[in-house]
Amino acid sequence: MTNFLDAYSIQYWLESCPQGYLMDTDYGHPADEKEPALVIEDPVLRDAAIRTTVQLVVGERCALASSSGLVGCAPDAPSQCFLATQTLDEARHVEVFTQRLYDLGVKKKELEDVIARYANPNLVKFAEILLEKVDKKDFVAGVVGQNVVLEGMAFSVFEMMETVNRDPNPKFAHTLTGTIADERRHVGFGENRIGSLIRQYPERKSEIEQMQKDMSYFMLATFADNFRSNEMQQEVEHARDELDAGARGDATWQGVNLAQAEPAEIEAVLSDTILKDFQARLGRIGLAYQTPAKPRVAA
Amino acid sequence: MSGSGIDDVHALEPEDFIEEVHSFEHWFEAVEGYLKGLDHGHLPDVAEALLTAEERDRLIATFCSYAVAETAALEASSGLIAIAPNRHAKIFLSTQTVDEGRHVEVMLHRLRELGVPDPEAEVERRAGPSVRNLRKKILQLVEAHEWDAAIFAQNVALETMEYTVFRAHARTADPITRDLLERVLRDERRHIGFGENELGRRIREDKKRRLWLGTVKSELDSLVLQTFEEAMEEIGVPRWDRPSLGRDYLETVNRLGLV
Repeated sequence: MTNFLDAYSIQYWLESCPQGYLMDTDYGHPADEKEPALVIEDPVLRDAAIRTTVQLVVGERCALASSSGLVGCAPDAPSQCFLATQTLDEARHVEVFTQRLYDLGVKKKELEDVIARYANPNLVKFAEILLEKVDKKDFVAGVVGQNVVLEGMAFSVFEMMETVNRDPNPKFAHTLTGTIADERRHVGFGENRIGSLIRQYPERKSEIEQMQKDMSYFMLATFADNFRSNEMQQEVEHARDELDAGARGDATWQGVNLAQAEPAEIEAVLSDTILKDFQARLGRIGLAYQTPAKPRVAA
Repeated sequence: MSGSGIDDVHALEPEDFIEEVHSFEHWFEAVEGYLKGLDHGHLPDVAEALLTAEERDRLIATFCSYAVAETAALEASSGLIAIAPNRHAKIFLSTQTVDEGRHVEVMLHRLRELGVPDPEAEVERRAGPSVRNLRKKILQLVEAHEWDAAIFAQNVALETMEYTVFRAHARTADPITRDLLERVLRDERRHIGFGENELGRRIREDKKRRLWLGTVKSELDSLVLQTFEEAMEEIGVPRWDRPSLGRDYLETVNRLGLV
């Protein structure tokens, strides 16, 4: 285990992250990149960007609370050190996405009100399930919830968003690229570290599997709220009217052209990708994936 | 990281200044200069000094106690994030969490360099009793969600003690230990600054809070000074130098106006 954890050391993190892919960035992107004028000037697109970014801030605040809360109950020093790096990664994500809200014109004094107004209640419930485990100092459940479920979701969401934004909004796409690199490391730790603990505590399996099922449900409900809302339909149509096909670029992700797909199709490919990843990762650490209930369509 | 593009942070409005100096960006600019190109906390080309068996053993005991103090700092700073009163404090404490994690890692690695095959077991076996008690006390304050008291214990008392001990040790240490400690000291200075700033603002206008912290300080003083004594003994600071080191610590905590 010592050798495997060497790959998650602070020494490695310093060399690969702050002194690696984050070099020459300013809040996660090259300093000369700005939000596109269209996003800043068009009230519909700006509002959509703010609403999306708020969900990212909410998710990252949960990840920060969770990873910092797990440091004190980690079973060994190398795991504590890895979680220290993850804590700072998550704090950086909170910072860069908060900065994006400021870049989109949110005033500092309005920040908490904007977050409270736009935070998706199902995403908040998703976070609460995880933080309840962390509060109880349940390291095994906490790492599965945080590094497999939450980070697995974030990884795919960020990848999809990076694909959509690569051509029309390089600044945001570059911000996402750095966070994706971080999430990949976090997911890797979760998968590699937790397998032996699951073998050590097999009696914990069913409770942890139930947590995955509950968290997955609220994740799907968040996506349903987002992709099936009338606002989303209008925003997608509006964005496509404003951006010509050239500006949208090639936005193919998981075989779907996101620049042309309907929101329902995007929701389906996103959900499907994440759930399949959960199934594969959980299988590798010795847990049985539980299919979540399908959320009802919002009225 | 290219920097946040701010030429002089002191020209900022107070609120913006706090946000800037507590940010990840600011942390990275601060550590970039002294953490680049290191191998587990020290320059890779520094040669190991020839130590006698007794000197080596004493150094191992010292690093075992340091590792406990740094683990206390790691657990306390990460635990404090949940109760921090604002986002800037949470982000600063996240930078401190990684600093403390780095200290734990480099100190355990130093033990390995000194020939200890299982550093965590060695720490468990050899760390001094006072530093263990101090760790327990600090974590109790964090667990109790006592923000002011825990910040005082962690960022003022513990960090000042470490700062004073590490500085004294670095003066006489072998080259690798000296290089390692001098870089740790740069972090500690930042952590103490946060503690003094955070508490200074909060207790200036709140007499009740000041009195309460004075009580916490009195409770901690004997534990801190015992840990000091233990550390001084381990690093071999002559007895006649010890009172002045104790004074350094008391002067620092007294700057906050606590009695």
